[in-house]
Amino acid sequence: MDGLTPAESRELDQRLQKRQVKEFMTVFGNLVDNCFTACVDDFTSKALSGRESGCISRCVLKSMSTQTRLGERFGELNAAMTAEMQRR
Amino acid sequence: MFGLGRPQPSSAEKIAAVENELKVVAEMHSRMVKICTLKCIDKTYREGELSKGESVCLDRCAAKFFEAHQKISDQLQKETQARGGGGFGM
Repeated sequence: MDGLTPAESRELDQRLQKRQVKEFMTVFGNLVDNCFTACVDDFTSKALSGRESGCISRCVLKSMSTQTRLGERFGELNAAMTAEMQRR
Repeated sequence: MFGLGRPQPSSAEKIAAVENELKVVAEMHSRMVKICTLKCIDKTYREGELSKGESVCLDRCAAKFFEAHQKISDQLQKETQARGGGGFGM
């Protein structure tokens, strides 16, 4: 967006930084919810089993790869959509 | 962008506008990740890496998600207008 003064730019950067932290916490939360739900179902013990633990690790790795890949696709698609909307 | 006679947007308004637009985009991204994960990723997590099939599914899911978004946006606008304008400021 054009027309932001340096002071306004700084304010915006600060807000975006805060937003990024909040978003990271959301991603983290979703990761825990998702991987716990998918991997943990044995409540005969209060400690994670080896199977559950391994599953969680793989879930984290796969989820991060998914985020990366979808992040790339989203960027491409969003740029295309924005261009199309401006064309209309 | 702003016509003659309209008051210039204040600092707060300009910043809020940029922040809001980013918020909208970020939310769409988050929803897409959630849904495409649900639709494409094997929940048994036997592997820590994306399979080729899962990768391709994610790409296609993202593309379809955007197409559906646009299609729904267009149709909603059309239908809203046909039904007398409604309350949506889309």
